[in-house]
Amino acid sequence: MTRADYFVLAGAVLLLPYLYASYWQRGGAGEEVRIVGADGKEILASLREDREVHVEGPLGTSVIEIHDGKARFVSSPCHGQLCVHAGWLHFGGEFTACLPNHISLAVIGPELRYDTINF
Amino acid sequence: MKRWSSVCAPLICLLLALPGCSRQQPEVYKTQLMTLGTIVDINLWDVEEAQAQPAVKAVEDVLNGIHVHWHAWEPGMLTELNTQLAAGATATVSAEDAAVLLRTQELARAGDQLFNPAIGRLIALWGFHHDDPPLGPPPEAERIRQLVEARPSMDDLVIEGTQISSRNPRVQLDLGGSAKGFAVDKAIVALRALGIENAIVNAGGGLHAIGSHGDRPWRVGIRNPAQPGIIASLEMDGDESVHTSGNYERFFDYQGKRYHHILDPRSGYPAEGVLSVTVVHRDGTFADAADDALFIAGVSGWKEIARRMGATQVMLIDADMTVHITPQLADRLRMEIDPPPKMVIESLQ
Repeated sequence: MTRADYFVLAGAVLLLPYLYASYWQRGGAGEEVRIVGADGKEILASLREDREVHVEGPLGTSVIEIHDGKARFVSSPCHGQLCVHAGWLHFGGEFTACLPNHISLAVIGPELRYDTINF
Repeated sequence: MKRWSSVCAPLICLLLALPGCSRQQPEVYKTQLMTLGTIVDINLWDVEEAQAQPAVKAVEDVLNGIHVHWHAWEPGMLTELNTQLAAGATATVSAEDAAVLLRTQELARAGDQLFNPAIGRLIALWGFHHDDPPLGPPPEAERIRQLVEARPSMDDLVIEGTQISSRNPRVQLDLGGSAKGFAVDKAIVALRALGIENAIVNAGGGLHAIGSHGDRPWRVGIRNPAQPGIIASLEMDGDESVHTSGNYERFFDYQGKRYHHILDPRSGYPAEGVLSVTVVHRDGTFADAADDALFIAGVSGWKEIARRMGATQVMLIDADMTVHITPQLADRLRMEIDPPPKMVIESLQ
């Protein structure tokens, strides 16, 4: 074997983890988050930038946090707090909402592990 | 050095080209709507934006229409009908509404009246006729007992053409247990009318899928009733519905005890011993009614009710997190938690 052969082999081995990650792992981390407010207005925010988004609804202000590639409702002026308990959304296709305050939150990203969730 | 570059160049080209493969334009049009008192997830495969937008609007119109029409406490057709029934009067409804009521009556009968949409008074007494769940305490035992003893049932309803009356003035209709089923089914009919053949409409606890996600089936995750996350997943076989009833949907905790919204018409209290029931069936109205009947029938009674109703694909998760499942569903369900839960495969024969 020549040095070039070794190089090709090494290259192929190095490629394996990348190929595995790209083609075998179903479900990818999200890239953007879409927030829809009570007025139907959409806010698109990158998941790569940590920030807090304040959205007004009929009950008051809901606070959404984007941190470390994930997004969640930190607080919402609703009684049930189901949106806050939903916790962090990470993967493309995940979504939750504060129904009483008419604010929804969805992660947009590549290939989903599930097309939808029965809950 | 020349040999090296002749090897490297194609390799680098290949590396640069690979991300291109995985960054194809998404071919699913996915969006969410807030209606039916929940968040509705819509997935359309391989449609142009110009076709997707009217399709989503059509789904929204269907779901909003049913939400307002069959709402159990906000003024609409159903509250008007309930007023008439309580007064002992005969009401006239549309032919479509009469068909829904007739179907609901049949499903209640098939489910041995455990799925009982005539107990609207009891559901209101528990405080579930509000957008926000009640805070407790639970209602007085005596008041619950009175409503249970009045025995309101769908069989008290007299449906003659479009004329509706009730033999029992205590009947108050609340179709919360099956409305999501027929709403989602109707949304799918609307999509088909627009030429869409590959879609999922998911109203949270109930979804209807048609077609596929292009070269693979639609994949559905089923929520873990005990903690956040998914417990199992399955691939849809073309035209199918998946409905789940869980004790986590609407509830309140009072003095350390959970009171949820799936009431047992025999006791007047929330049904015990079960965390969730999932039913897979072609017909969403059926699956939605069946999941409630089986939830209320409980660990000891669900197989008998499933047999009577003809529900063959059922998963019941009991309070100990043991998964009771029919062989027909076990064959196609994939457990997504590690370690997998304790599973009991129970044949209905």
